[in-house]
Amino acid sequence: MDTDELLQRLSATLRNEVGPAVDGEYTRTQAYMAAVILEKVGRQVGSAGAHAEAERRDLVALHDDLAALVDDDRGPPALTAAVERARDASTIESLGPLIVELYRHDPEADPVIGQALSRVRTALRADIDRRMEIAR
Amino acid sequence: MSAGGDAGSIDDRSAEVEAVLSSYLGERLEADGPVAIEELTRIAVGWSHETWLFDAVWTTADGSPERRGLCLRRDPGNALLREMSDLGEQFRVLRCLESTDIPAPRVHWHEPDPDVLGAPALIMEKVAGECPSPWRRAGRQFYADAAERGVLPVSFTDALVAIHTTDWRAAGLDFLGVPGPGDDFARREIATWRTLIEQSGHPGHPILDDLTGWLEANAPTTDTLTLVHGAYRTGNILIDDDRVSAVLDWELQVIGDPMYDVAYVLTELNREGTDLLSNVVPRELFVDRYQERTGIEIDENRCRYYQLLYALRSAAFWMSAAGLYADGRNTDLRLARTQWSVTVALERAATELGY
Repeated sequence: MDTDELLQRLSATLRNEVGPAVDGEYTRTQAYMAAVILEKVGRQVGSAGAHAEAERRDLVALHDDLAALVDDDRGPPALTAAVERARDASTIESLGPLIVELYRHDPEADPVIGQALSRVRTALRADIDRRMEIAR
Repeated sequence: MSAGGDAGSIDDRSAEVEAVLSSYLGERLEADGPVAIEELTRIAVGWSHETWLFDAVWTTADGSPERRGLCLRRDPGNALLREMSDLGEQFRVLRCLESTDIPAPRVHWHEPDPDVLGAPALIMEKVAGECPSPWRRAGRQFYADAAERGVLPVSFTDALVAIHTTDWRAAGLDFLGVPGPGDDFARREIATWRTLIEQSGHPGHPILDDLTGWLEANAPTTDTLTLVHGAYRTGNILIDDDRVSAVLDWELQVIGDPMYDVAYVLTELNREGTDLLSNVVPRELFVDRYQERTGIEIDENRCRYYQLLYALRSAAFWMSAAGLYADGRNTDLRLARTQWSVTVALERAATELGY
C-alpha cells in the first residue's frame, strides 16, 4: 500500500470510527484533528515528488530569467550580486535574502528592480499554490 | 490568545478551579462563612486564555445573602501571543476603561502569583449577554437576524465610536505606549509581529519577506491617535437584547491609528457569505455613522495598508501556534494543524500584494 493511501485510510478511521466513539469533547476534537492532520500529511507525501520537481524547474527558470535581467550590468551591482547568490538557492524558501535586497531599492522607481520582483513573485505564487493543494 | 487542552479532564479542573476560587474569594469578599461557587462553566472561546463563568454566593457580615456573577481568566502559560499576553496589562486597561463610555467588563482582582489560582489570573464581572461565534452557521444566522432588526448594527458601530473617541490620556491609557509622529505606529506594529514570528521558531518564507518589505516601504503617516482595540468584530463583543453589552478580548489594544480597527471591520475576512461588515452591519450605515460620530474620515488607502498588516499579523499568530506545538509547550493537536494555516495566511498575503 502506498504511504499516502495508508495515511488517508488512517485519517478516515479516526474521523469515522474513533472520533464518534470518544466521549469527552476535548478528546473527541483531538481525534478529529488527528484525522485532519493525517489527511494533509498523506496529501503531502503523495505529491512530494511532483512538487519537488516543479520547484526545481521553477528555480532554474527563475535564475535564468533573473540572470538575463541583470545582464550587461543593468540594475544596481548589489542586485547582480544577490541574483548570483540566489543561484545557489535549492528551494523557493531560500529566496528570502534576494527579496530583502530588492526592497533595499525602490521597485517602483527602478524598472529592473520592479521586473525582478515581479519575476520572483511569479515563482512564489507557483510555490504557494502547490502548498495550498495540501493546506486546503 | 492561548490554546487550552492541557492534561486533565474538564471535571478535574472544575474541582480545582472551584476550590481555589472559594478560598480566594473567601479572603476578599468579607463573607461571614464560606463562599460557594455555583454554576461554574468553562467557556470554549477559541484560542483565548482559559475562561470560566460562575456565581459567587455568600453571606455578608450583617447576615445578608449575596450572589455575584463573575468571570475568571487564567493564563496557562502557552499563549499564542507569548510574552505579549499579559493579564496584568488587561487588568490595567479594563480598570482604565471604567471611566469611559466604552462598554467593557469591570475588573475586580488581578492575581499574578500562579500558586494562588493555579495560574496568573484576573477576575472580572460576568456581563449579561451572548457572543455567538461568527465562524459557525448558527452564529452567522444570529447576526443576520439581528441585522434585520436594525438595532445591533447601530450599537456595533457606536461601540467602536466610543473606543475611538475616548480621551485615552485622561483615562490613563498612555501607559500602552504612544507612537511618535509620522509612520511610527505602523513601524511599531510591523516590529511587534516580526518579533512574534522570530519567537515562534517557525521557518520563514520569502512571501513574508515580500510582505514586510512592502509594509515598511509603504508605512502610512498617522495624524490622529486613538485607543485602538486591535480585534474589533463580532465574536469579540457580548450582545444583550441586540446591544453591545461589553467589548471583550482586550489583548491587542494599542494607542494608534483608528483606521487599524476600521480596516478590521471592513475586511472580507471577518464576514462569510454576506456583504454585511462583520456579518452584522451594512457598509453604508457603518461608514456614515462612524464618520459622523467620530469626525474621522475613513481613509480607504490606509485601510488597505492595514489589511496587509493584518496578513502579517495572521501569519505571526499561526506561526506562533505551530511553534508552541513543535517545541512541545502544548500538545493540543489543533495547534499542530495550524502549520497549514500559515500557508493560507501566506497565500492571502500574496493575493493582497497582487500576485
